[in-house]
Amino acid sequence: MAKEKEQILKIRDLDISFQAAAGNVHAIRGVNIDLYKGETVAIVGESGSGKSVTMKAAMGILASNAVVNQGSIEFSYHHEDGTPETVDILTKDKRWIRNHINGKRIAMVFQDPMTSLDPTMTIGKQIMEGMIWHFKTPKKEAWKRAVGLLEEVGIEDAEKRMKHYPHQLSGGMRQRVVIAIALACNPDLLICDEPTTALDVTIQAKIIELIKRVQKERGISVIYITHDLGVVAKVADYVNVMYAGKIVEKGTINEIFYDPRHPYTWGLLSAMPDLETEDERLYTIPGSPPNLLKEKEGDAFAPRNCFALAIDDKAEPPMFQITETHFAATWLLDERAPKAEMPAELSARIARMKKEAKVHEE
Amino acid sequence: MRNNEKENEKPLLVVEDLRQYFKASGNFTVRAVEGVSFKIYPGETYGLVGESGSGKSTIGRSIIRLYNPTSGKITFDDMDISGRLGKDGKKKLHTQMQMIFQDPMASLNPRKKVGDIIGEGLDIHHKYSSRMERDNLIREILVKVGLAPEHASRYPHQFSGGQRQRVGIARALIMNPKLIIADECISALDVSIQAQVVNLMKDIQQETGTAYLFIAHDLSMVKYISDRIGVLHLGHLLETGTTEEIFENPVHPYTRSLLSAIPVPNPLVEKNRIAESYDYKTSGLDYNKGTSHFVSGSHYVKCTDAEFEKWKKRA
Repeated sequence: MAKEKEQILKIRDLDISFQAAAGNVHAIRGVNIDLYKGETVAIVGESGSGKSVTMKAAMGILASNAVVNQGSIEFSYHHEDGTPETVDILTKDKRWIRNHINGKRIAMVFQDPMTSLDPTMTIGKQIMEGMIWHFKTPKKEAWKRAVGLLEEVGIEDAEKRMKHYPHQLSGGMRQRVVIAIALACNPDLLICDEPTTALDVTIQAKIIELIKRVQKERGISVIYITHDLGVVAKVADYVNVMYAGKIVEKGTINEIFYDPRHPYTWGLLSAMPDLETEDERLYTIPGSPPNLLKEKEGDAFAPRNCFALAIDDKAEPPMFQITETHFAATWLLDERAPKAEMPAELSARIARMKKEAKVHEE
Repeated sequence: MRNNEKENEKPLLVVEDLRQYFKASGNFTVRAVEGVSFKIYPGETYGLVGESGSGKSTIGRSIIRLYNPTSGKITFDDMDISGRLGKDGKKKLHTQMQMIFQDPMASLNPRKKVGDIIGEGLDIHHKYSSRMERDNLIREILVKVGLAPEHASRYPHQFSGGQRQRVGIARALIMNPKLIIADECISALDVSIQAQVVNLMKDIQQETGTAYLFIAHDLSMVKYISDRIGVLHLGHLLETGTTEEIFENPVHPYTRSLLSAIPVPNPLVEKNRIAESYDYKTSGLDYNKGTSHFVSGSHYVKCTDAEFEKWKKRA
């Protein structure tokens, strides 16, 4: 089954650092990500864990002080005549990426719709821009398609809205416009970088449902960057948990939520107050994310990890395989490690979650 | 929970029919807050939730008098603080009521050392007799919020986001306020740091007995920290009650849609769930016609009689 799936994106051993005034910031330290056609991968992590940088690398829009030390980002797509092609984005120059990838085959939805839209252009013009630039679509046809896109993303009075400027729209509508722009050139891959963080919960729910619907109708792949585990639960097929520039745990959505193995994932899941929590105190991960300016020996998460072993300070844990799809980078999974159980509150919560899920299945 | 005893207690803050209008131009007035009434008792946490533009921050700012309320009465600790403020009123307001803002980087003066930021209130109100006493007070408060005494001589940019918010909390706490208005104070922080700050706020409340007006749009955190909750939409306080009353038995359709919109971190459940949708324009409701209806305990909902009958049956 797994072999029949068509691979869209394959990131291998990606390693990126930034040259800053204060020194070398080692932001990405060996990231592997796989994405297949029609599937959704979520990348979860705190700010500064490198989730956005990874995706910017895939789009070829890294900041100018970024240095790619090693790795490859292989992106597969079909030419207009149907011949398949696989390219390593890191070896291509900016201009080629601009002509062949950005907006055309990979599109991105950013966090804040007010800063990603041009305030001096009508939204109609902004949606048509990509089509005209990439495919030389005649203006009349582009206009028609833009109206169609606006209707597809759930904006009423699309014809009238085409002439509006971004400031005339509400936050939720702006994000819908951004999604319409992203879809304008029929991309194979949609990258959503915290698409709902700036929005209210009610609007967030609508935008997520919109992205899900569009994905289903068009059969495109989606990468979701977020720190909200509730959103992840709703959208993702696979989850990658990132910490300090490394993926520390990856697996299917059910494996991550019902059988997490890495202490950081335990912490993330426990720190989220679910609505049934009656405890007086929230579980917290002590300390704060590490400063990537300083290279640390061993496991980067060790200082915040109450399950840390002696070896965590000396050597970085490799990825241990748990099932065919589930991996975690923690020494706790080594056969020589002492047995460590996840916190009692979390296992109780997971048991409760499973029970709820059963009720829903019946 | 603690409601029964509260009935006899005297409320710390009483807001009655608060209205806050802003004149946008000659013939257009923004009605940000429309007749909101609620009470906060000593030592409790009142959560105000609502989407952006619902007027929740405006209420906080009107109470602490960053705005002058258009009409309505605000009583704080037996003193009317809604009209013109006298010298006593100002002093009381500036010492007994404090505010924590959303973005810790924007609310801390980058050119001042953290110790001076925290000590500013002490300086203005002459709360110490010697330099030593001042420094000791600052050190104590820094330790209380989980920072180290030597942090007093650093600048805000040398701290992480979570630490900066701790400085913001320390600045509010040092005046020993009876009420702290926390305006989206955890929204800008990371998940793991949010939990740390919320735990800290809870610990401080237990220790000092200060009351919080907790303004947020994240309902799961509000549920966790609040004793009572008020739901705001378009400037109207639609529903208020204890946290259990609101979450177990939401009556107003807006509250129900708000609750159902929270994504549950449980993939098998969440994937099959569809959020209840609610749109004011098409719902046929008119908030201006609503009056307060009693549901149970301290649970009230704002609607017309007919609507109330209809919703009660469904619940």
